[in-house]
Amino acid sequence: MDYLQLANDVVKNLAAHGVAAEVMITDSRETDIRVDRGQVEQLAQNTNKGMGVRVIDGGRVGYAYTSDFSPRAVEETARAALELAQIATPDEHRALPDVMAAPDEDLGIYDPELEGIPTDQKVELAKKAEALALEAEPRMIQAQSNYGDFIAHVYMANSNGLSASYSRTAAYNYIMGVAKDDSDMAMGFGLSASNTFREVDPAQVAREAVRRATLTLGAKPVPTQTASVVFDPFIMAELLYYLSLALTGEAMQRGKSFLIGRMGKEVGSDKVTLLDNGRMKGGFASAPFDAEGVPTSATRLIDEGVLQAVIYDSYSARRDGARPTGNAQRESHRSLPKAGISNFYIQPGHDSPEDIIASVQNGLYVTRIMQTGGVNPINGDCSMAASGVWIENGQLTHPVNGVTIATTLPDLLNNVTAVGSDLRFIPLFGSIGSPTVRVDNMTIGGTA
Amino acid sequence: MIAKETAARVLAAALRTGADLAELYVEDDTTLRLRLEDSKLEEAIRGVDTGAGVRCFFGDLVTYAYTDDLSEESLLRAAEAASAAGQGASSAPKVIDLTERKSPLHYPIEKTFDALTIAQKADILSRVDTTARAYDARVRQVNSGYIEERRKVWIFNSEGIACEDDRAFVEFRVGVMAQQGEIIQTASEAFGGQLGLELFDRNDPIAAANQAAEVAVRMLDARPAPAGEMTVVVCNGWGGVLFHEACGHQMEADFITKGTSAYAGKVGQRVANDLITAIDDGTIPGRRGSLRFDDEGVPAARNVLIERGILVDYMWDLVEARRVKREASTGNGRRQSFRHMPMPRMTNTYIAAGPHDPEEIIRSTKKGLYIKSMAGGQADIARGDYVFNATEAYLIEDGKLTAPVRGATVAGNGPKTLEQIDMVGTDWALDAGYGTCGKGQTARVSVGQPTLRIPLATVGGTG
Repeated sequence: MDYLQLANDVVKNLAAHGVAAEVMITDSRETDIRVDRGQVEQLAQNTNKGMGVRVIDGGRVGYAYTSDFSPRAVEETARAALELAQIATPDEHRALPDVMAAPDEDLGIYDPELEGIPTDQKVELAKKAEALALEAEPRMIQAQSNYGDFIAHVYMANSNGLSASYSRTAAYNYIMGVAKDDSDMAMGFGLSASNTFREVDPAQVAREAVRRATLTLGAKPVPTQTASVVFDPFIMAELLYYLSLALTGEAMQRGKSFLIGRMGKEVGSDKVTLLDNGRMKGGFASAPFDAEGVPTSATRLIDEGVLQAVIYDSYSARRDGARPTGNAQRESHRSLPKAGISNFYIQPGHDSPEDIIASVQNGLYVTRIMQTGGVNPINGDCSMAASGVWIENGQLTHPVNGVTIATTLPDLLNNVTAVGSDLRFIPLFGSIGSPTVRVDNMTIGGTA
Repeated sequence: MIAKETAARVLAAALRTGADLAELYVEDDTTLRLRLEDSKLEEAIRGVDTGAGVRCFFGDLVTYAYTDDLSEESLLRAAEAASAAGQGASSAPKVIDLTERKSPLHYPIEKTFDALTIAQKADILSRVDTTARAYDARVRQVNSGYIEERRKVWIFNSEGIACEDDRAFVEFRVGVMAQQGEIIQTASEAFGGQLGLELFDRNDPIAAANQAAEVAVRMLDARPAPAGEMTVVVCNGWGGVLFHEACGHQMEADFITKGTSAYAGKVGQRVANDLITAIDDGTIPGRRGSLRFDDEGVPAARNVLIERGILVDYMWDLVEARRVKREASTGNGRRQSFRHMPMPRMTNTYIAAGPHDPEEIIRSTKKGLYIKSMAGGQADIARGDYVFNATEAYLIEDGKLTAPVRGATVAGNGPKTLEQIDMVGTDWALDAGYGTCGKGQTARVSVGQPTLRIPLATVGGTG
């Protein structure tokens, strides 16, 4: 079936009712492999498709989706979107974006080789990562290795004349390893992900999982105190995700951001420059256009500590009289588009991670955190459980666990005193890049 | 939706390369989501998801293929893909007996989803918005949401399982943001379950709106939570997140058979003090985690996990039960959708009532923190560590609740906490029905407990 044609047909039928209409179709093939103790434990190969239909009738939005593309199901989906638009509240800013042609450039998001890679080769890659992790360290008792990939096609059409498509691929390998000694058991995560199969590196996955799992074995709490914290890139990337939620036009318009009213003002130390770039070559979140068909772009959100811009979908941009930044995202064909980050990152500095650790008198090097709702982009609270290694006089000393670390998001930004050169993109919360980052003056909750 | 004869042919195809068990799971799901924010109904979404997955077991290897096309041709293709890993001869018996099983469990729906029009459902959200905004001038933003989902599933396997389930879920939420100067606070209320629109006869959305507004406004005066070790009293009902995170996950069989859980090999041993009895019960009518059959066609059950401090059993699915040659699963095999393979999951999990008067628990606490509401939690399986983040908490000073505090993380070690809990209240309750557990896949769950006291946990604030 020609899905772009199908999308256009549905748009045309809806437009005949005098409404604005948009159809997105996604179609993907996925592989998932799990290896444990040298054996394949799970092997899944799937095909997946879905259609999302958005109708805007006088500023009222209706949305419906289906995974069934039979003429009857598509017809019912289109009708449901039309009907639901009658229920919604009109909002003059709700409209389809103007059609703008996306620049013709190779974003490096499609690997034509992936389709031809046999399953056996993927299984071997997963097995290799596990074997390397288990061989590297006798204390590693588990290194369950997962491999996954997908080939996805996105088709979009709307009644403003948009008709476009693109394809993307991704492949990844990760290990959640477990290390054990006489007194303790600890988990460690390793990951390698790329748009290109050949760039997935099982040796790196094994190395990272082993390092993180063994680094904190035998950990103990430290006393409650105020100290510096050095964040591993994976951990800082997670914190940046919550920060990004405060940096959308919508969050500002609705007062749901601790940065409200701070545009043009200093909100962080001059080490902090935050960028979003939907056209980064080879980026996990790169695409020629966003989830509304608007060409993606690069935005400098915070420049040397000064809040300069926010990211927009077409709705929030129209409300501010601004240009959309090409940041409409949707989780899947089941969701309405909404502003969110693409490739979002903190601009790296010049210090190596070793130099940053060496610069700390007294502090905690954090390699794992746990929190649910502890980092709050609305009220700025920032509190979590942490484990890592204690730093004394610039040296890593003993492993630490069972402590909490806390600050507020405004203080976190203001107290960034070093940003490393080791920028790393982590595709766990969208695509977020961070190097090692030092934050001073955090409250560590531990023993009395 | 799928004829038994079709299912039998698909299973036979899945067994063609020697699998020792094959399964066909079919799903038909319809969802309606309404969301109101900025006093506007912004999201009105209806969707349909249909699909099927074929799973093959070759010893400890499990293969899976799914499709969103329910034609027999497509199902046979999925069976072929799932069975491709096998190298043996066909293991299909001449006749696969697919006599339909009935579950003894009934979860009757009193008011079907069509008892209210979509416009009437949207009107509930509007009234909730108006109510919360009228509560106090400091209320600056309100969002409210309604979700209904009807999921029909059909499960067949080559050992003769043939069953169907028809699950109806409904859920309501309200979130309120209050602001005073630069201080912003939020609070939310929600309720739901596996039932119909009688949900709104049993719970009042207007009362929920007032409650959320009241808490958001009150939390404007909250001071930063203290940091360090202290006594923590956790509320009844939703406070059960504590057990879910601290111990529940570590009692899921996939972490047991791999030896990565602190509770592996501890059946029959003391793992908690004798105040603690913990149960996972998938059979409670109307509850969010309840099932007639789990997603592998096994009837849901009430499984005692810990009885007066002694570990009784773990939560099993078919994969893990087969791995250790255990006779049966405990009915805990669940999947997010046909796009996912089942794994051991909790259903409605709780700590049972104890002997202490809940007021006495607070009165007898000299200094500590009372957790009234939390955002959910997280667990580190290997270490048994847990964390949850309070959304509403108060200092306890000389046996009385005093100042509200913000930004409190509570962290501890699950097995240690279970040994240390020294007071367990009489006020057992389940949550109001809005919990979703994430373990790579999402699952609707309930949690519960009476008020209980942890003598020493680590609290992480900035105060």
